[in-house]
Formats: sequence, C-alpha cells, structure tokens
Amino acid sequence: MEVTQALLNAQSIDGTVRKHAEESLRQFQEQNLPGFLVSLSGELASEDKPVDSRKLAGLILKNALDAKDENRKRELVQRWLSLDSAAKAQVKACLLQTLSSLVLEARSTATQVVAKIAGIELPQKQWPELIGSLLSNIHQVPAHVKQATLETLGYLCEEVSHEVVDQDQVNKILTAVVQGMNSSEKNNDVRLAATRALYNALGFAQANFSNDMEREYIMRVVCETTMSPEVKIRQTAFECLVSIAAMYYVKLAPYIQDIYNITAKAVRGDEESVALQAIEFWSTICDEETDILEEYVGDTTGDSDIPCFYFIKQALPALVPLLLETLLKQEEDQDLDEGAWNIAMAGGTCLGLVARTTGDDIVPLVMPFIEENITKQDWRQREAATYAFGSILEGPSPDKLVPLVNHALPFMLSALVKDPSNHVKDTTAWTLGRMFEFLHSSIVGTPIINEGNAQQIITVLLQSMKDVPNVAEKACGALYFLAQGYEDVGLTSPITPFFQEIVQSLLTVTHREDATESRLRTAAYETLNEVVRCSTDETAPLVLQLVAVIMMELHKCLEAQNLSSDEREKQSELTGLLCGCLQVIIQKLGSSEPTKYVFLQYADQIMGLFIRVFACRNATAHEEAMLAIGALAYAIGPDFAKYLPEFYQFLEADLQNFEDYQVCAVTVGVVGDICRALEDKILPYCDGIMTQLLKNLSSDNLHRSVKPPLFSCIGDIALAIGDNFNKYLTYAMNTLQIAAEMYAHTSGFDLEMTEYINNLRNGILEAYSGIFQGFKNSSKTQFLIPYASHILHFLDSIYMEKDMDDVVMKTAIGVLGDLADTLGSNAASLIQQSLSSRDFLNECLTSDDHMIKESAKWAKLAISRAISV
Amino acid sequence: MADPGFSSTKRDPIKSSVGNAAGIRRREHAVTVGKERRESLVRAKRLCRVGISDVEVDVESDMMIDEEQSILESQTSLAVQNLKSALAYQGKGAMQKRVGALQKLRRLLSRSEFPPVESALKAGAVAILAQCLSFGSPDEQLLEAAWCLTNIAAGNPEETKALLPALPLLIAHLGEKSSSPVAEQCAWALGNVAGDDEELRNVLLIQGALIPLARMMLPYRRSTVRTAAWALSNLIKGPNPKAANELICVDGVLDAIVRHLTKADDESATEVAWVVVYLSALSNIATSMLVKSDVLQLLVNRLATSNSLQLMIPVLRSLGNLIAGDSHATYTVLSPGLAVTDNAIQVMIKCLKSEQRVLKKEAAWVLSNIAAGSVEHKQLIYSSEAVPLLLHLLSAAPFDIRKEVAYILGNLCVAPTKGDEKSSLILEHLVSLVEKGCLPGFIDLVRSADIEAARLGLQFIELVLRGMPNGKGPKLVEQEDGIEAMERFQFHENEDLRTMANSLVDKYFGEDYGLDEL
Repeated sequence: MEVTQALLNAQSIDGTVRKHAEESLRQFQEQNLPGFLVSLSGELASEDKPVDSRKLAGLILKNALDAKDENRKRELVQRWLSLDSAAKAQVKACLLQTLSSLVLEARSTATQVVAKIAGIELPQKQWPELIGSLLSNIHQVPAHVKQATLETLGYLCEEVSHEVVDQDQVNKILTAVVQGMNSSEKNNDVRLAATRALYNALGFAQANFSNDMEREYIMRVVCETTMSPEVKIRQTAFECLVSIAAMYYVKLAPYIQDIYNITAKAVRGDEESVALQAIEFWSTICDEETDILEEYVGDTTGDSDIPCFYFIKQALPALVPLLLETLLKQEEDQDLDEGAWNIAMAGGTCLGLVARTTGDDIVPLVMPFIEENITKQDWRQREAATYAFGSILEGPSPDKLVPLVNHALPFMLSALVKDPSNHVKDTTAWTLGRMFEFLHSSIVGTPIINEGNAQQIITVLLQSMKDVPNVAEKACGALYFLAQGYEDVGLTSPITPFFQEIVQSLLTVTHREDATESRLRTAAYETLNEVVRCSTDETAPLVLQLVAVIMMELHKCLEAQNLSSDEREKQSELTGLLCGCLQVIIQKLGSSEPTKYVFLQYADQIMGLFIRVFACRNATAHEEAMLAIGALAYAIGPDFAKYLPEFYQFLEADLQNFEDYQVCAVTVGVVGDICRALEDKILPYCDGIMTQLLKNLSSDNLHRSVKPPLFSCIGDIALAIGDNFNKYLTYAMNTLQIAAEMYAHTSGFDLEMTEYINNLRNGILEAYSGIFQGFKNSSKTQFLIPYASHILHFLDSIYMEKDMDDVVMKTAIGVLGDLADTLGSNAASLIQQSLSSRDFLNECLTSDDHMIKESAKWAKLAISRAISV
Repeated sequence: MADPGFSSTKRDPIKSSVGNAAGIRRREHAVTVGKERRESLVRAKRLCRVGISDVEVDVESDMMIDEEQSILESQTSLAVQNLKSALAYQGKGAMQKRVGALQKLRRLLSRSEFPPVESALKAGAVAILAQCLSFGSPDEQLLEAAWCLTNIAAGNPEETKALLPALPLLIAHLGEKSSSPVAEQCAWALGNVAGDDEELRNVLLIQGALIPLARMMLPYRRSTVRTAAWALSNLIKGPNPKAANELICVDGVLDAIVRHLTKADDESATEVAWVVVYLSALSNIATSMLVKSDVLQLLVNRLATSNSLQLMIPVLRSLGNLIAGDSHATYTVLSPGLAVTDNAIQVMIKCLKSEQRVLKKEAAWVLSNIAAGSVEHKQLIYSSEAVPLLLHLLSAAPFDIRKEVAYILGNLCVAPTKGDEKSSLILEHLVSLVEKGCLPGFIDLVRSADIEAARLGLQFIELVLRGMPNGKGPKLVEQEDGIEAMERFQFHENEDLRTMANSLVDKYFGEDYGLDEL
C-alpha cells in the first residue's frame, strides 16, 4: 500500500478521508504487522518524504511499543519481542539512520522510539550493541547528530532501569553527556540535549558520585551550566541540581556554599522559570532534612543511616531574606487561578518548609519583615507580610508562636473585614486558618481562642463568608480548622452557642449563585462536615435537624432535569458533596445509641435517596453514596437486610464498574461493611456477590489496585456466613491458590511492584483467615483439610522470600494460628512439618512490632493446642 | 513535539484550598474504619475464651530470655512516663500524642508471655490510665486505655487488685452512650478483674457493674453479647449467690438467654451457656426460672446440633445443674414419653461416646440425676443404648467417670424411696446388670481411697447380697474378691463405712456362711 499517502490522509481535516486512511492503516497493521512496522520505519528514515508523514509514522511506531495502561503495555512488549528478528533489525537500522536526519522532527521522533525499543530489549539482554554504537563516533559527528544522540541517551536512561546497564557503559554515557554540557561546547542545542540527558542519567550515577574526582567534575560542570546564556539550559541545569539534592544529599556539603550563591543570583535576577527551580533546590533540601530528622526522632539508638548536615539551619540568615524578597513579587489575581504558580508562591512555600525544618530559629528572622510591611500603603507589602506570617506557623514551638499570634489576631480579624485588597483578605483568612490548624486545640495550655474572643472570631469569619468567592473559601477553611481544634473537647464545646448560626451560614454559602467559583461550595460542605464531626452531644438535636435539611437538598438536587452538560456536571458534584455530608452525619449520630435510634427513623428515606443517586452516572457521586451506605449499614446492623432487595442491583453494577475503578474499590469495601452488619443475613445475596468477586479477580481489565481488597472481601463474606461458605469453597480456594502461587515470589520486581505484591498477599491471607475463622467449631471443618498443605506451603514460601512487610507478616502468622485453631489435630502433623511453625513463628515472636507479636502468640497457642490433643 | 516528556516539577503550594484535602481525608477515613472493624472482628474471634477447654495449654516461654525481660520492663516504665507527659502536653496534636503513648504502653503490655505488668504498676500506670478514661474523652483514647487495663487485669491477683481506682470509670463506660468497641473493651477488662478473686467481684458488684453488663447482653450484636456474657459469667461465679440472684431478675435477661441460645452462633452461645452454668449452680431462683422457660429444651438442641467442645461443656454442665437443682426439671420438663426427654437421653449417649473425657464425665453426671428420678425414668435409661456404654465405662474409664457411672447404674437398680425406708429394688435391672458383669466395677470402687466412691460400692454390694434371687448374692460377691475388699474397712477411720462394711460381712458371711456347701 501507499503508506505515505495514507499517513498524510490520516491527518486530513476532511473526516471521511481521515477515517478511510485510518482504516486502511489499521488493516495493514492487522494483516502484516512486521511489514507494517518496517514500512513505518522506512517512511521515518526517508529524507525525501514529507515531514508530516514521517512524524506520524514515528508516532504510530511509538504507540505500537508502549501504552499507559499496564496490561496493554505488557501485550505490546510481548508482541514486539515475538516479532520476526529480521523485521526488528530492519526497523532498528532505519531508526538509527534517522538520528542523522537533517529534519529535526524526524530525528526527535526517532530518539524516542529508539529509547522505547531499548526499554523493551535491554532488560532481555537484547540489542547489546546499542549504547556502544550510539557513543562510538559521537565526537566526530555533526552537531545535529550529536544532539539527537544525546537526546536518545537521555530518553534511554528514562526508559530503562539502571541495573540493566553495566557500570562501564554508564561511565561512557556520563562522560559523553558531561562533555556535551561543557562550556566548550558551542552549540546550544547540543548543550541542552546533554543537560537533559544528565537529568535522566543521574539515577545511573551512584558509583560516580561516590568517586571524589568524578563527582567534582560533574558538579563543576552542572554549576557552570547554570550560568549558560541560554535560559532553557540554565533552567535544566537547576533541575539537575534539584535532582542531585534529592538523590545525593549526603554528597553536597562541599558545594553548598557555591550553590547558595548561584541560586541566590538566579532567584534575584534570572527569568522566572529559572528562579523557580533555584527555589525548588532549597525546598528539596528541606524535604530531605525533615525526612532525616523525623527518622532521628523515631530512632532511639541514634545510629541513623543518613547524617543530617543542617544545611538549612546554616543557610538560614541568608536564605530567609532571599525568600522574603520573593514574596513581594505577587501576580495580580493569582488567587483566582487554581493552577497559578509563580515566584512569590514558590518562595512562600519554601519559607514554610524552612520553618518546618528549623523550628524556632526562623521566627526572629521573619518578624521584622512582617512588622515593617504589614501596615504599608502598597497591598503587595501587606500581603507579603501576612503571607510570611502564615507560612511560618508550622514548625516553631507554640511557646514561641502563641504570644505573637495573640498579639496579631485582633489586627488580622480587622484586616479580614476592612482591608481594601481582596488579595490581602484572601491571605489573611488563610493565615487565620493556619493559626487554628497548628496552634488551636481544645487542650492547648493558653488557648488562642478563648471566651473573650471566640464570639468575635466566629462573627468575622461568618461575615467574611459573604465576601468574594476566593475570600469566602478561605474563611470556610479557617472555620474548618477552628472546628477541628475542638475535636477532643469533651462534653461541652465552646462552639455550641454558635453551632446553629455557623451551620446556617455555611448552608447559605452553599446556595450562593457564585458558589461554584473558587471551589467555594466544596469548602463550605467540607467545613460543615468537620463542624458536625467535631460536635458534642449538646448539639446532637441540631445535627438531627440537619438530617432532614440535607436530605431535602439531595432530593432537590436529584429532581433537577433538562440540564446542560455543564449544569449536569455541577449537579453531580453537588450530589457527591451531599452524600459525603450525610455519611459524616450518619457516622456521628450512629456512634451514640440515643441519637442513633432517633436518626434511624430517617433510614428508609435516606436509603431511598441514595438509591436514586445511582441513576446519575458520576463516579464521585457513586463513591460518596456507597461510602454513606456503608456507614448506614453499620449503624443499622442486621436490619439493613431489608434494603438489599432493592439496593443489590446497584451494588452489583458498581462491582462491575471497571472504568471508574475507585468506585469499584469503594464498593468492594462496602460489601465488607454490609457483611459485618448483616452477618448471616447476607446469605441470599452471596451467590451473586461471590460470582462477581471471582469474576473481577480473574479479569485483566480491572485496575490492579482493586485486587487486594477483593481478596479481603472473600474473607469478610466467609466471616459473615460461617460454614455456609462451603458452597463457594472449591472456587474460592482455587482462585486463592492460583493467586498465592503467582505472588509467592517478588524477585526481579521493583520496589513499587514488591509493595503491590505484598498488598495482594495480605488480601489473600485475610481471605484465608476469614474462611478458617468462619468455619471454626463447625461440623464442616473437614472440608478445609485438603487445602491446609497448600496454605502452609504458601506461608513457607513467602517466609523464605524474606520480603514481607510488617502487615503481611502479621496477617500471615495469624493465618497459621487460624489454620491450627480450626483444623486442630487434623492438621497437627502438617503444621509440625512446616517451616512456618518453627522459624517463621519464632521470628514473629521476637518481632519488635507488637501486632506481629500478638498474632504470633495467638498462633503459638493455637498450634500447641492442635498438637497436644 | 518540541519538549516531549520534559516538564518541570511543581510542588503543591502551601496556600491551598481546604476542600480537596478535606474530602480526600474524609473518604480515606471512611475506608479505614472498615479495615479496622475487620481487624477487630478477627481479633475477637481469635481471643474469645482462649484456654477454657480442658486441654491445659502449656505455653513454654523459651522465647524470652531474662535480659529481654528487663529491657521490656524498663521500656514499660518509660512508656508510662511518656504517657504522663503526653497527658500533660497541651499543644497541637495532643490527642494523637496521647493515643500514641497509650498504644505504645498497650503494645508493651501485650508483648511477652510475662507481660511487664509489675513495672507498669510501679510506674503508676493505673492512676494515669484512669485519667485517660475520664468522661468525654474520644473513643480511640478510651479504647486504648481500657485495653491497657485489660492486659494489666490479666496479671496475677495481687496486680489485678491495683486496678481498684480505675474500676468505677470502666463501669461507667459500659453504658449505652458508649460506642460498642469501648463498652466491649471495658467489659473485657472487668471480666478479667472479676475472674480472679471473690473480693474484687464483690467490689464490682457494689459499684454496680452487674446491670450495665446485663444490658449489654440484651441486643443481638455478636461481639457485644459474647464479651458481656463472658464478663458476667466471671462476675457471678460466687460463691455468694447474690449476684446470680440479681442477674436473673434484671429485666430482659431471661429472654435474652433464651433468644441467644436459640439463635446465636456457637461462640456467643458458649459464653451465654457459661452464664447459665453459674446461674444454675448458685441461684435457686434462677434455676427455677430457667427450668420453667424453654432453656432445657434449647440446651438439649444445642448439644444435639453442635460439635464444638467449647460450647458443649457449659451446655452440658448447665443441663446437669438444672436437673440436679430443681426436681421440676426431671418430673415435669423431662417427663418420660415427651420427645425432649428422649432427645436428652440421646444427646447424653452422644456425649458418652465422645472422645472427650470431660464430656463423658459431665454426661454421666446428668444421667445420674435423671436416673434418680421416677421408675419410668429408670426404665427409659435402662432400655436405651446407654447401658452397654455405661458398663464399658465402669470397667475401663478413668476413676472420676467410673464413679459417676456407678451412680447411674446404682440408681437404675433402686426405686425412689419415701421417707427413711430402705430402698426397694428393681430386681429386673439389678439381675440383668449383674449378669452383664457390673459387679467387679463396683467392688473396685470399694477399694478406692475416695470415701464416696467406696460408699457407692458398698451400697451396691448390699443390693446384690440382699436382692439377687436364690441367695446367689454372697457367692457372686465372694467370687469377685468382695469379701477381701470389705474387710479392708475393719479398722477404717470412717465410722460409717466401717459399720456398714462390718455389718455386711457379719450378716452375709458370718459363721454360717458356706456351711451348706460343705
């Protein structure tokens, strides 16, 4: 077929032409995949073809090798690996040839495709000559080829794990890359490609950063590159520094003074994109040092692996003034743009991190700035002063901050009402919220909110909730933390006298015409939720009244019809918020017996509303309704069974919602809630639920994060229905056994995958526990005996792998106990033969984790009973 | 495609909207609640009445060497100190600090086979934990504090006494206003306290623990019923019957017992059955109320349908107590001809056949009480499958079972007596049982050091000597070395037995004995 024309037609503005072309390309691909890929690579490599067809050819090639979806990606990888090797060689040759193309777009597409193939083949020990051939003549080639080669190396480092490249090749890559960055390189494209390649290659450079000479060289070149005349190169060089700060913190001491000088210069004088990265360097250092210091606190022995160099503490006198300067560079109306990010925002964020890292020391450095600017004529100065104050409220001790806050509070309250600038009011409300978040609590020694000022504070916040949406949103936030501070207040809350007024004001906010701006309505409902959650028994009657109000809101919201798509989206969002609100109310009222009984009068109506929610096709609304139903089931208990005939179909439908996998995950959790509430009354629905659970587990299209809770849910069902589970036993055990075999080993997987496998194992083990405990003391325990040997074997294998996390360890040793407890002497000899009953048990008995130890003691007891009979 | 895949990192601004984070936190919380409930359900299933079976578990403590124990002790003192300072701390996050400190202590107290209770007490844990139980404290804190106290209460009796100051608060949190996990944990702690010592039981009763625990047993919520019943069974176990008398009179308790024995799962039923055991053992009022309700029938049904040893033990003992305690049980409820009576005898046979020694013994005891009933009762047992089993047990079972079996067989051979008159024989039963070889078993009992068993043996020998037709009695007794057995009592310190044995020997084996054979 004429590929060029098809590729051009596929980009036609005429829909019919486009469709036809896409169809013929698809047919070509289906009928002869190797031929198709070879044609595409030939197209990409041909200098005489139009640039548009070459670009699309490259793009289709890339998409034939990689996909976002995990399962699809695995398929594509397998497909490429099993392809005819002559075709693969031809494709690769064309791609490497394209790296020398004079056409930038063709080159640049080829670099990415080469990296994708490398990502597939290098881990399989295929294409071993690739890196060598890329580097072989890098010094002799023209600049554009050098640029493409460096770009390819950069993508390659991004695609493959550093374990699959030997150190010798890493050294060569780094040498080529760092040389390309060097100031002696006069071509800016080459320097930029080299700097970007270094950014991706830093993860490969462990050994090189441990070698003083090599590290010196790399660091010198990176620092030099930050002074390149080209802004993109400077920005990328700073990004390298940020990455180095995160990866090689311990190696930074000799360079930190120089880096401070470079970053200060950039923050003060460079373009914003560069200045942002310079600030990000210090934010990253803060992240590292807080992690290390937190580790210190948890580690009483004091021999933590990573030392803290206290770079931030040392840089403090210079760093703080630098950051304070940035606060004055606000953009007009940045508060109205949710995605805004500028130097003032980055500077304030960094200042907050510095405060968390250093604590009290920052306060005297910031206070003069605040005092000097807070009353100035220019709104920028007042806003910057307020922002600075808000930023340092987390970190320093309450002793240090409370007096300052007490002093500032009246001023802030008045500014919130009177300041002419919306920007200042926005930041003032936020700062009040931070004060309450970090310094106000019902058990604080000298409370910042007391009988004397509570009335005023609440009045001002409620008034401010009538201000423009962004200010009102921040005022809600302040009220949120004010309420949260009284979480543990006991029987009587200082909020009680204002409760009704607060609730009323929040409801009024939710009805504002402009409530959908600045996420105001969301803030108002979440604040209402927090006020309810933290309320005391004194206001229980008012919370009960709220039930009917929110139900009415939900009813009205569900009634609305003939909506535009924009309106429908807002309706769905509101539905979700209202269900969330009901969930909090149900949990609150359900937690004490007297209110629960009054509340349960509404149960029928509430359930009716929730069921109507399922008619709207919005994931968040479904998720919230499901969670609320879970809370309701728990509050009602076994009587919840009466809703199942109607509710069941929606439960089953959402268990099948693979597309919105979060909905599916939440629904699986709700099945568990219902099992615990209904116990054996769930039995009539178990056929359907179990079918669906097992179906989901065997599906490749369900997001993998749902699988661990699916396994646990099998355990929930078994716990609820006891030995009635017998009818599902064969299927369930079979599924569990296959999964157990698949996930017994983790070798060859990365950390993230190992963590996921541990989650799966935990789910599988929870299922086993549920089944054993469900069958305990029943006459049907003998049906479990045939599975004992496999389960013990699974325990032994994951023990031998030595890669369990604490959660899995606890669940696993519990299963050993459950098995012994339920099967008793029937399993005695099997247990005694297993490694788990000795070495694993002993290891758990001496664990530092009390939960593991408790489960292990239980297992030991159960085993000794089983073998003594 | 100028800068594909190369985008600069941007972190979240410090100044952000409250709504997003709050919503995520709320949903995560809702999901976590479910996980925690699963966890506590499994935990409760595992820990319920561990070690109540007759298999005494010897959990050797080879894992814990002395040095570790001393580290544990110092960690415990430190944890109590930390808890003190967490309570004193008034800053932000104080709640988390306190719960964290409580968890730490609770973990230490759950750690070894020898929990460091003493160190905790020395460091002043009880006062500080009591403070954590103060009214209005959040549930998480209450739960952890009660849990710590539960573990302390599991220590030795002296240590348990140290809990005195905390008892009123633990009792206060049993009320309906508390969440079920908190109430259950408090019940658990109180159950541990009550289990140890009569004095502590009295304190708990004076402080009013009985009524709220009884109320917890009323609704049908598995774990609550189970825990409350367990705690109650400890609380009322006497020996003073006052608590048992009070409990049965609490409104709804009798109904709840009936309901749970009808519907509850085996584990809950087990705990409820233990309550019935102590009620029926101690309180005549309770016994009579229970007998008049459906309880006997329900207990028989449970025994028929369950194979759980843990359940069968208290059920069987309850049955025995009720039958022994109130003649109404035997004469009216279990009257011959009713299906329930046949069922009762069938389940006893099931238990006699069981491998479990404790079931055999209890079943024999129950049967002996039924066998003490009317002639019709005796005929019913005699004609049942029980007799061959009993005969086998009399020859081969451990001593305590043999003794119970002897009571049954003895009772089968005598009719009920009125006043002081000598027991009248049921000759058919006696002859047949002796023919089937039960005499050696009784004579064996005569030789035992147990006075009661010896008396049983002598009584049966008397029946044989007196009752066997054609004067065959003495001959049979002599053949089985009965004379020798009785002569052991010639100088026995127990006057009663001495007289009895000597007069039998004198009467049946006196100077004239054997003359006609010569």
